[in-house]
Amino acid sequence: MAWETRNGRSYYYRSVRCGDEVHKVYGGSGELARIAHERDVISRAAEEHRRQEERRELERLEALCAPVLELSEAAEILTRAHLIARGFRRHKGEWRRARIA
Amino acid sequence: MPESLERYRLPAEVQERLEELEELSEKAEEGDKEALRELKRAVRESAPAVIARASDVSRRAQHMLIETASGGSKLTQYALSGRLDVMREEIAGDNPTPLEVLLTEQVVSSWLWLTLLDALNSGQFWKGADKAVRVSPSYLRHMVRIQESAHRRFISSIQALARVRKLQAGTPGIQFNTRINLR
Repeated sequence: MAWETRNGRSYYYRSVRCGDEVHKVYGGSGELARIAHERDVISRAAEEHRRQEERRELERLEALCAPVLELSEAAEILTRAHLIARGFRRHKGEWRRARIA
Repeated sequence: MPESLERYRLPAEVQERLEELEELSEKAEEGDKEALRELKRAVRESAPAVIARASDVSRRAQHMLIETASGGSKLTQYALSGRLDVMREEIAGDNPTPLEVLLTEQVVSSWLWLTLLDALNSGQFWKGADKAVRVSPSYLRHMVRIQESAHRRFISSIQALARVRKLQAGTPGIQFNTRINLR
């Protein structure tokens, strides 16, 4: 969003993304352009606020999930240690009883 | 990590024991006989305490998830707690080994986490949902990814318990077929 001044008059332009390209779209001049600009500023702030809320919510979910992940890792390590100690070995991802020499 | 969540994490000494067990397992798998002897000793001496602590932390984490899922409703909290108790009893069976108890806790925790995510996400896919409570598509994509990962973890926790039981009992092979449909 930008104002451009030519011959002492201000013109309002919006930047609009179209795929990989960004286009400059004329938004008017004078009082109507000022109102359009303020509306854009407010909607952009609201969008940013929503994004921050979603980020916070995702962080909260990750924190909730952390103990479950930690338990899964611990269970995996302990299972593997138990099986190896009991004489099993992995062969192509499958657990088998190791041959006794 | 907020301080209030620290009590839901494994203590530092348990983490150290786990790292030690992991290292010994790797060496033993590579054929190091000394490491195998050391691993047997560690499994006998320190693993039961590690399993007990991990199971304890798991219970506390489940309680935290129940509180979140219930949204402050005491009735839902009791209902979910009761549901988990029934699940534990059904899954662990009679006279479970400490490792089976831990793996049961893993299954129950994974189920609870998955159920919570299902509840959170299903509201977003409901046609009648108010537009004001709808989240952005990028946020929903994140949520679905987390849900898929939770689903995979739930399935693999069941497989791990079944595998341990099968190997301990020396029963013939079990084939696991997992199909995940993504729409």
